[in-house]
Amino acid sequence: MKVILSLGLIRGLLWQLLGTALGIGFFTLVRALLGLPSWEAEPAIVVGALFGALFFLLGVGVLNDWLKWAAGEPTEDHVDDSHLGWRRYFGPSLDHKVIGVQYLVLSLVLMSVGGLFALLFRTELAQVQMQFLSLDQYNTLMSLHGMVMIISILMGIAAFMNYLVPLLIGAHDMAFPRLNAFSFWIAVPSAIILLSSLALGGFDTGWTGYPPLSVRAPIGIQMFLLGVSLSGFSSILGGLNIIATIVRMRARSMTPFRMPIFVWSSLATSIISLTATQLIGLSFQMVMLQRLFGMSFFDATKGGNPILFQHLFWFYSHPAVYIFVLPGLGIISELLPVFVRKPLFGYRWIAMSSLGIALVGFLVWGHHMFTSGMAEYLRVPFMYSTLLVAVPTGIKFFSWLATAWQGKISFETPMLFILAGIVVFLLGGLSGPPHAVVSTNLHLHDSYFVVGHFHNAMYGGFVFPFFAAIFYWYPKITGKRLSETLGKIQFWLMAPSFVIMSLLMMRIGLLGMRRRIADYEPAFGFEPYHLIMTIMAFLTALGVVVFFINVIYTQLKGQPVTGNVWNSRSPEWQVPSPMPVHNYERELIVVGEPYDYGSPGSRYVKFVGEA
Amino acid sequence: MAHTSKSKAFRLGLLVFIALVVLTVVEFFLAVYLNVWLLLVIVALCKAGLVIYYYMHVYRLFQADTTLDRNSYAYKLATNRLGLWLFLVSDSFVFGGLMVARINLLGLTHPHLEQTVGLIVTSVLLVSSFFMNRAETAIAHGKRNQFVASTAITLILGIAFLVGVIGVEWRIAPFGPADGAHGAVFYSMTGFHAFHVFTGIIFLAIVLRNGLRGCYSSERHWGVEACAVYWHFVDVVWIFYYPALYLIGTVIE
Amino acid sequence: MRHFIVVALLVIACTFLTHTAITSIDILPRKASAQAIPIDHLFEIQLWLISFLFSLVTVTLAYSLIVFRRRPGDVSEGVHVEGNTRLEILWTVAPLVTVIALAYLGARSLSEVQRADPNALQVEVLGGQWFWSFTYPEYGVTSDELYLPVSKQALLRMTSLDVIHSFWVPEFRVKQDLLPGKITELRVTPTETGEYTLLCAEMCGTSHAYMVAPVKVVSQEEFMAWIEEKISQAKLDPVQRGRKLANQYCTACHSIDGSQKVGPTWKGLFGSLVTLEDGTSVIADEVYLRNAIANPNLQIRKGYPGNVMPNFGNILTESQIEDLVAYIRSIE
Repeated sequence: MKVILSLGLIRGLLWQLLGTALGIGFFTLVRALLGLPSWEAEPAIVVGALFGALFFLLGVGVLNDWLKWAAGEPTEDHVDDSHLGWRRYFGPSLDHKVIGVQYLVLSLVLMSVGGLFALLFRTELAQVQMQFLSLDQYNTLMSLHGMVMIISILMGIAAFMNYLVPLLIGAHDMAFPRLNAFSFWIAVPSAIILLSSLALGGFDTGWTGYPPLSVRAPIGIQMFLLGVSLSGFSSILGGLNIIATIVRMRARSMTPFRMPIFVWSSLATSIISLTATQLIGLSFQMVMLQRLFGMSFFDATKGGNPILFQHLFWFYSHPAVYIFVLPGLGIISELLPVFVRKPLFGYRWIAMSSLGIALVGFLVWGHHMFTSGMAEYLRVPFMYSTLLVAVPTGIKFFSWLATAWQGKISFETPMLFILAGIVVFLLGGLSGPPHAVVSTNLHLHDSYFVVGHFHNAMYGGFVFPFFAAIFYWYPKITGKRLSETLGKIQFWLMAPSFVIMSLLMMRIGLLGMRRRIADYEPAFGFEPYHLIMTIMAFLTALGVVVFFINVIYTQLKGQPVTGNVWNSRSPEWQVPSPMPVHNYERELIVVGEPYDYGSPGSRYVKFVGEA
Repeated sequence: MAHTSKSKAFRLGLLVFIALVVLTVVEFFLAVYLNVWLLLVIVALCKAGLVIYYYMHVYRLFQADTTLDRNSYAYKLATNRLGLWLFLVSDSFVFGGLMVARINLLGLTHPHLEQTVGLIVTSVLLVSSFFMNRAETAIAHGKRNQFVASTAITLILGIAFLVGVIGVEWRIAPFGPADGAHGAVFYSMTGFHAFHVFTGIIFLAIVLRNGLRGCYSSERHWGVEACAVYWHFVDVVWIFYYPALYLIGTVIE
Repeated sequence: MRHFIVVALLVIACTFLTHTAITSIDILPRKASAQAIPIDHLFEIQLWLISFLFSLVTVTLAYSLIVFRRRPGDVSEGVHVEGNTRLEILWTVAPLVTVIALAYLGARSLSEVQRADPNALQVEVLGGQWFWSFTYPEYGVTSDELYLPVSKQALLRMTSLDVIHSFWVPEFRVKQDLLPGKITELRVTPTETGEYTLLCAEMCGTSHAYMVAPVKVVSQEEFMAWIEEKISQAKLDPVQRGRKLANQYCTACHSIDGSQKVGPTWKGLFGSLVTLEDGTSVIADEVYLRNAIANPNLQIRKGYPGNVMPNFGNILTESQIEDLVAYIRSIE
């Protein structure tokens, strides 16, 4: 019992409960004192949720050092909490490796929850008419699936950026370790608030939350808006930290064009998440304000403009897609040379293409609004800018092809996931231009084709590279290697079934299947397709189950692995696994190119004092 | 040598302040007599530029490191500066988004507001920025008493600004937050800004308390610098919000 | 060199194969409007592009994986090539030119889609949670089915009563959102007679999936005959007219058989005692029903949240409301 209570997470959850109750009570009391009718559910719950989040952070203890600073007391900079063992993963550790693992676990938990939602409504779709879900339940699960998965992806990329960036650049930690811990821990109460919308009547707006629909939705939407706004801080502050770390903490001899390529993609991602994320927060807060105080930002009858929301929302939510995929593409570029045993082809071009995607990504949001009734003169310029994204993306694909050409290719599990990532992302990429071109977009917009396109982009740009990265760095993180056999079973369960599912999504979308519908017209003849897609979804999910079995099996039965498993040139593999608490004991010196495979005797890094 | 550089720094702060006052007066009369929105934008950009360069010392970001020792105070200070500025860049997207909403919904009109109150709160915030700069200059030159006094004045002026906006302007405005797009825009823009002023006041209070306890020296006063940069940032936001809410365009009834 | 020739040939073969495979099934629904012609033309161009790029990447990759795979026992490294600036420039410039060309074609195609006929038939489209309504202002006729004469451009002037909806008939290819408080326009020229389905493509709440309406494209003569019939229908008895209105606007949320929907059922409603939100009770008489239709938030039924039902006072005429009340009264 005492041990359980010493865990930051448990304390935080208890405090959040307390804080929520206090917030609701406080708000009601203030109203009563002001002589107003004391109970009004919506604002009370919003205030309660805000208090809950704050109390969670206090309970975890992630604010302690800052409170000491404010009180003018000194704090310790390099805390070694490794004596806590497994317990430090449940508390406010400052070690970027611990925080990376915390992010990873949260990501996998949320992915399982979001995936479960998807399986539920996917099953409902297998047959025409409603079988076991009500329309509102379907809409809630569908909407939550979107946002829970988005947050899961944000946590997933943060996991690898946190774990890897300091290791890859030879730093002992992130630039701001306390901020790093804060960024992670704010995401936990946000996720809880987001999921609590289930208990508060849900919401039926899709993950986009367009007003006026979101203004009329049940109270659950407030938890959705608030949860997303709060978790935005995780993304913003995490991005800030990554940028500062890359700029300020690199090993002295590591010039920008000698950084591992994943660092470049992390930088590009962080630039977007630092800036654009504020606007989804703002647009959601404006909906909250409209609901709470009647502020008519988006109410056309009172001088507002519903299109304004879409501009603010997509200014983040389109670049967000690049936030999700850039790290994944970075992982592909990072791992491909290792399994091909050849230098990364056109390193500088790939590095610059990440920045190119990030920057062009800021100028393309309007393609989500071609049919929205936005100003007519904006449609053609947004078409041009959107299609431009194809150019830097193409550079990546062609460079990967050239990297694989004349290599010595081997097919361990990470490589399989990398290849699936490339092919699936290609499907996502090739189904992109029809959306970007206005006239074909008029047919495709809000159809299931978009759903197929988007899931391809997410699986190719995130899910498959994410699993590749887990399999690849698992020995570095834990000192044990995941089972190859189970890994390959997982791969063959996930990849083909996912591809079939996404192609069918696109097929019925072209034929007239709308997105976000709980039921479909029997006359269109989509039922057999939906049945196959549901079966494929379950196979994909089974693959994820096999992954969890693999993790448990490896932890119980796996043999320790401490060496350079993949024969990589990267600095983190030059020291024994698992990584020491303060990373590199001796300073790291860059003496060569990061990906000079096939050049005998060359090295990327050595350590001070090493011959 | 030290003495001349010290008086130079104080004099520079004063000169910048005088320039800002002149520009504000020019801005007000431009709005009253000409009301060309482009001119008002240019004046606001000039004011913001002055504050960002001379008060927020943006150039410090680009100064080469004097030491490469990662554990030294100087190296960490430069990292902290970068972090703070990145945060401000991020934050400015919120204010920018609200400004976009204002432009989209109100165009070349502005809500019906009491001009005197607007001018007074703007002046109060401007003066507070002057004292904030004075406080930072003072601690950088080891003049602790002057630092404490200036910080206290900044704090009081900050509270005065909040009282002016929340306590006076919000009360006397002839419309509420639910009254049309101008109500929504006015209360959200001033509300988000006031929230930042409020956090700045807390920050100032912490700096003042720690200053009284002698936590800062001429070499080590990152807390003061961060507080000053943040406070000036809040001022820069108001430099744009003031004309956007009070001056540009014609009044909506 | 041999590798390159083999790959090039395979890519070309695979391109044609992919294209043939995709076009062998109907990937798009029937083409039934003049606007669909430039759009489908662009789809065809894009399909070639997609087939080629798909083949280029997958064939090259698959070739590498097979030919350059590591044989058992081989521990050597791959060829040491770090890059090739000319190649990089090539595969930057070539896609750049392609996408600019594609965008240019897209812009041209868009202007064709938007080509306006000054003699277009005007139809006012109203969307609401969850119904469609179509008014033909030239004839003073309102319907819950969209009738369109073939080969004549229809100018749809659309608006929404509550939230955002979107007008989509897949066979027409074009789509346009309906916004509350604003009129958006869409031009459609049906080219084939037949029956189609209008779908709401923008998430609009609980019954979004069921927000559909029949679309009938008929000859000019049939269209005029239908208009005549509609005009004469206006002389039906009030209960009949009321039933038609109810089917159009009301039955998505109100049942007539006592089953539970978003709003209260109408079965046995007239003359019954209903409990309001504030606990008081009123008799559901004509005045109550009229208020409930024209000003629904005035008296909110207990157990049903306010602000859900649209204010039909702005949509229905006084006599239409009377018809509706007469119909509700007729439901025992």
